[in-house]
Amino acid sequence: MNAKHADRLAELRAKFDRPPSWKDDPKEDKERQTIRERQPRFRGLEAGHRACQGCGEALAARLVTEAAGPDVILTNATGCLEVFTTPWPQSAWRVPWMHSLFENSAAIASGVEAAMKAQGKSTKVIAMGGDGGTFDIGFQALSGMLERDHDVLYVCYDNEAYMNTGIQRSGSTPHAAMTTTSPPGKERMGKRHLKKDLLSIIAAHHIPYAASASVAYPRDVTRKVRRALSIEGPTFLLIHCPCPLGWGHDGARTIEVARLAVQTGLFPLVELERGAITGVMPIRDQKPITDYLGLQNRFRHLFAKNDHRAEEEREHLQAIADYNIAIYGLAADGDDPLDSEGADTVHRCAIVP
Amino acid sequence: MVTLTRGTYALSGTSLAFKTGTWRVERPVHKHWAAPCHAACPAGEDAQAWIAKVQEKKLQQAWEILVSANPMPAVTGRVCPHPCEQGCNRGSYDQPIAIHNLERFLGDEAIRNNWAYPVPKKAKASAPTVAIVGAGPTGISAAYHCIRLGLKPTIFEALPEAGGLLRSAIPMTRLPRDVLDAELERIFALGIEFKPRHRLGRDINLEELRQDYDAVYLGPGCQRSKEWSVAGAVPGDLADGLHLLKEWVDHGGVPNTKKVVIHGGGNTAMDIARVLKRHGAEEVHLVTASGLPGPDTAPDDILNVVPRELEEGVEEGVIMHPHANLKRLLMRGSKLVGVEMVSLKKLPTASGRKARVSFEGTERVLDADIVIPCIGEAVDPEGMERVLGGSNYFRPDDWGRLSGQDNLLAGGDARGDRGTVSAAVGDGRKAAIALAAKLIDGVEPEGAPRQPIDIASLNLNYFQKGTRAKAPTLPVEERTDHAEIEGSLEWSQVSAEGERCFSCGNCLACDNCWTYCPDNAVLKTADVAVDGSHYVFDYDFCKGCGLCATECPCGYIEMIGEPE
Repeated sequence: MNAKHADRLAELRAKFDRPPSWKDDPKEDKERQTIRERQPRFRGLEAGHRACQGCGEALAARLVTEAAGPDVILTNATGCLEVFTTPWPQSAWRVPWMHSLFENSAAIASGVEAAMKAQGKSTKVIAMGGDGGTFDIGFQALSGMLERDHDVLYVCYDNEAYMNTGIQRSGSTPHAAMTTTSPPGKERMGKRHLKKDLLSIIAAHHIPYAASASVAYPRDVTRKVRRALSIEGPTFLLIHCPCPLGWGHDGARTIEVARLAVQTGLFPLVELERGAITGVMPIRDQKPITDYLGLQNRFRHLFAKNDHRAEEEREHLQAIADYNIAIYGLAADGDDPLDSEGADTVHRCAIVP
Repeated sequence: MVTLTRGTYALSGTSLAFKTGTWRVERPVHKHWAAPCHAACPAGEDAQAWIAKVQEKKLQQAWEILVSANPMPAVTGRVCPHPCEQGCNRGSYDQPIAIHNLERFLGDEAIRNNWAYPVPKKAKASAPTVAIVGAGPTGISAAYHCIRLGLKPTIFEALPEAGGLLRSAIPMTRLPRDVLDAELERIFALGIEFKPRHRLGRDINLEELRQDYDAVYLGPGCQRSKEWSVAGAVPGDLADGLHLLKEWVDHGGVPNTKKVVIHGGGNTAMDIARVLKRHGAEEVHLVTASGLPGPDTAPDDILNVVPRELEEGVEEGVIMHPHANLKRLLMRGSKLVGVEMVSLKKLPTASGRKARVSFEGTERVLDADIVIPCIGEAVDPEGMERVLGGSNYFRPDDWGRLSGQDNLLAGGDARGDRGTVSAAVGDGRKAAIALAAKLIDGVEPEGAPRQPIDIASLNLNYFQKGTRAKAPTLPVEERTDHAEIEGSLEWSQVSAEGERCFSCGNCLACDNCWTYCPDNAVLKTADVAVDGSHYVFDYDFCKGCGLCATECPCGYIEMIGEPE
């Protein structure tokens, strides 16, 4: 920055700045502050953001930035994540972060990456978006970014509908789910169409690494983020994050819901390299899909009495889960420490032997 | 001219100024429950707490927590029927933790490495004195806890050596005497004054003890056999099980018999049955009114025998007759030739209480040349007649205090409602706590009963099924009168077994709450968390979603209404 700009910035700051006054407030708990500053992990997404109670997306974004560390630049599509982290003039991000439009997160990430490359810097770029900004609205920008081989990790926080604008169906909304634009009734049992198989489309770009993850398996999320960032070239991560408000479940059960999506086979956790499946999280004990559906209001109509369509749709979703297990080879061949039961096993002092 | 809007230059990092904690209607708090193993332990051990240290591979610290309740882990690890394992929540998941094997391992390690017993409160010269009658498990435990709490104990014992029933009646195959000696020697070295060959009522008397000492604790055990007959008939050569067992332990002698009927279903019955079988009896029948452990047997109806002893006994050929009783002795002159048995069961009566009902038509005859009653013993009143007042047992309160008797306490088998070494150890501990509270601080003792936690409060998604460690046992044909039958676990087994613990109701420090909080409102800090966990909640930002409480594997986080 040249001297002229620096002066101008100082002038603007003096005039408009809202300094972080909380630090000097005598009412603040100094001890708590000190502990917060000394947390043994990088905090890329700090407290004070306005996400709903039990928000899966906030948790996923926290995990991603923690795993990525401080040397990154984030771009964000329009959506809940953008709104709840950055009400002006505050920001919950502790790394450079940029938002432009709904559809262009991948495009501005491409630009940032090119600028970093031009300056000879190794700072990693992570583009982020919800399922609306990725599956639908930002899809062409994403496809272009992958095709142009930018060194960017694109993370899609998949909560399966446009939650920010009030729960409208997206390309990611699963079959038979209720949203405000796919209400169940005489004509339909929730969404008529299927969830778009985005991962296969991404894989068809022949990129070095694409994977799906779930907030129910945080160690797996961390591993996949680090793996993606270690690769030079475009990488993609799809993270399943329940939305208590949009899915209609208690915020305390976000992880339970996410875990059941994996254990039933409805959300397979897979890794694809150059389009080929190179890793999956095996399912040790497959749960019936009704365990998963029964926890969420968006599938309430599938349990309606005296409606033959309810059972039919339940069977349809079960068939989809079984299909996923078959085509991705998710059925466990004996117990594995990294399968659906082993991957979240706890240990004293969090030491994994 | 450059025009910049304010928004372009908003500073980052300031969302901490916005306290989302104001949204909260419920808040998470840490709640330390009693693990079921702890709630079930008659000696008062908190197995969860010491297994936590085993998981951290801090064995000496684990042992120190263990001996803060029970000074004799090498002994109880071998002889206790381990109700902790029946309580263990893991039992309804796969198999209970092998707590007794871990306890024994720690006890043996302490002896091998000569770890020092921690004594938190050294006795002053003017410290109150306590006379303890009987150097059995309860007397030794009382003395040990007196030392820990700053009292000066003296033990009076009728026999030349300490140990009580551990020495006189528990077979060496269950408790090798070198282990007993080593453990007792280390406890007595803490400064317990020991007066052997002092029999109450002959060498000393109770009134003098009460004058010379500030308090007296009675732990005489049960030394007198109860009267026994079947419908008034008694064989001429009658000897009860405990008596025979003591003789065998003492000099190895056993009656020469072919067909044995043992009447009663406790550890004494099983011990003497196995001794006789090993010494050449052709048939040993054990007749008991209780049932064998199994899904169809009510918990209060199960045979009161250490489970592995029962298993080993059956393996060695002891024939069990559960839910049966002796109806008649078949005699030729004063000599026994057989018994008549009848099936019976404990069933509820019209009043709702359970009573034993014999079933007509189930009578059968069994040839036998000896019948051995093992129906329990009573307190020998010698020297304590006035306190005992003609009854078989003492009936003190939970702290061992006898009503109407100042500073006179009693516990152990002499209570009549106990019957295990661990319960005797627990009685001694409670008596010492009650005495220290009264004699040093002049207050009532404080019980701190935490609520036990059930399996439904745990989140089992975070654990995996696994198999319980199994200690090696001697094959039946190699079993003798002396060699210990159950062996020790290897360290690798101990370590794997410790890993299986659910840490019920206490913090596992697994990081789940810290990892899953979407709001960064759980802070990790081992230094500042005063409750023994590794985390504090930052109520400035906690929105009260309850995710941490749901995902805590151990049930250690509870959601409570937000205080006004």
